Amino acid sequence: MRRQTYASVLLYVSVVLTCAILLFPVYWLVVTALSEPARLHELPPQFWVAAPRWEVFDRVMAQRPVLLWLGNSAQAALGAVALSMAVSVFAAYSLSRFTVRGGQSLGLFVLTAKMLPATLLVIPLFGIFRAVGFIGDLRSVILAHATLIIPFSTWMLKGYFDTIPRELDQAAMVDGCSPFGALFRIVLPVATPGLAATALYGFVLSWSDYAYARTFLTSAQNAWTANLGLTTMQGEYITDWNEVAAVALIVALPVVVVYLFLERYLVGGLTAGAEK
Amino acid sequence: MSSNQMSRMDFGLSRPSRQHYLAYLLLAPAVILIALLIAYPMLLSFDLSFQDVGISKLGDPRKPFTLLNYRKLLTSTEFWQACWVTLRLVVIVTACCMVLGLATALLVNNSFRGRPIARFAVALPWAIPEIVAVVIFSRLFDSSFGMVNWALVRLGVVTEPINWFSDPGAAFVVVCVVMVWKGYPFVSIMALAGLQAIPEELYQAGKVDGAKAWQRLVYITLPMLMPVFGVILVLVVLWIFRDFSIVYLLTGGGPIRATQTLSVLTYQQAFSFFKMGYASAIGIVTLIFCVLLSRFLIGRSARGMY
Repeated sequence: MRRQTYASVLLYVSVVLTCAILLFPVYWLVVTALSEPARLHELPPQFWVAAPRWEVFDRVMAQRPVLLWLGNSAQAALGAVALSMAVSVFAAYSLSRFTVRGGQSLGLFVLTAKMLPATLLVIPLFGIFRAVGFIGDLRSVILAHATLIIPFSTWMLKGYFDTIPRELDQAAMVDGCSPFGALFRIVLPVATPGLAATALYGFVLSWSDYAYARTFLTSAQNAWTANLGLTTMQGEYITDWNEVAAVALIVALPVVVVYLFLERYLVGGLTAGAEK
Repeated sequence: MSSNQMSRMDFGLSRPSRQHYLAYLLLAPAVILIALLIAYPMLLSFDLSFQDVGISKLGDPRKPFTLLNYRKLLTSTEFWQACWVTLRLVVIVTACCMVLGLATALLVNNSFRGRPIARFAVALPWAIPEIVAVVIFSRLFDSSFGMVNWALVRLGVVTEPINWFSDPGAAFVVVCVVMVWKGYPFVSIMALAGLQAIPEELYQAGKVDGAKAWQRLVYITLPMLMPVFGVILVLVVLWIFRDFSIVYLLTGGGPIRATQTLSVLTYQQAFSFFKMGYASAIGIVTLIFCVLLSRFLIGRSARGMY
């Protein structure tokens, strides 16, 4: 009995310590944003902000088009997720329910797509998007992000659809449902956790992108995404840490919130994709 | 859309004899999009790598075929140095990510109150955008007022503050730290998923046979995780190999190319020096490395992935 208590105390201590160490950088970002400017340039560093200066958020909002950046990021992420989900739901359903020639090599294909360095792909894409006039336009990042998301999301969704018994949609089709009806009324409702995990993955991927946004959007300030906007605030010699940290927090917040809601689906969704 | 309309719309595709048309029809959008945005660009850059071009423009007349880019690359020190930096980064960061990821997964796989919160916390850095991570760590590693220098001096590890971003070795360490912090949660999430798929009976059987906790870890948990581990390993290695933003934003590849990876070199050649032919050649070689490396890593153990 006593040993068990020891073990559980030890467990709690190690969990708390681990989380504290791993999340300290995030905490430090909050401290940096809310500290008095002068305190950021003295040692020892201040570990706790006694008088948080919330007005830093008002200040950066007034000085920089942060809302515009966030809107652009949201458009890019939602567009890329919508496009890739629309495409990969059908592709995954096809690969899961029918025997398609070459369908077995999907895993191999996904892996190959994962190997393509974004820095290599971005060179020809720049030429293509320039030819069709997408440079400085959010459509360029939506398409580019979708290509990042589609291979992996198809693979994840196929794994998830495979866990749903075929008999379910076959029964629906016997009862007069079309294959599309079976997909939309039977398979997708059951696969909601898988869809959520996949959408989350795509959202995080798109929201965090910097390489594509920098290449396609730098020339057009009105189309800057949040990440791109944030990078322009770090000066080479002088950095206003209060403001940079505040904008960094604002940029990270949406994706953390999305993650908060969808995290419980993630482990399940990834498992379905990863194993078998 | 009512089911009536739907059945009219499918042109009899639900008939078993026509089902493979349906299968291809469903795949078509994905295939077309991938052909246009991955396959075609790849062909273009392959083609570019054999031409002596600066800024590439679609529709320009093709320049004559040349091996110049590849010759230049193989004889340049910057390329070989970038290979060496990338290799060291891949080995160090992968090892740290795997260990930390597995350790955190094992930790939060225990049952205790507040486990969902711990799980959320442990995987949180995965959701933090890379650029935000860069902001955080440039502040932490700030040479004059950074927390890390202060702590190191205070603990007596060093006597003088370290110039993290102007010392080549130190800058490499910073890049490693940031990449591990961004990379371990993915390992953790995937390993946790793998852990939950291990049947509880195995542990009970182990307990009945008198296996101690560490024996259950070594003889049950780790072997059962191996297939998942193969997949995770490849994905992590590929991520480090191709990652661009962390290094580019943190150090820009400097100081004196100490952190210039193949990805950063490719991007800088293409968009800072506008040598797109040369950059494509570097990118193609990087891709070949990735392919060889992942073939080697996957071997036969993780064939289940396909």
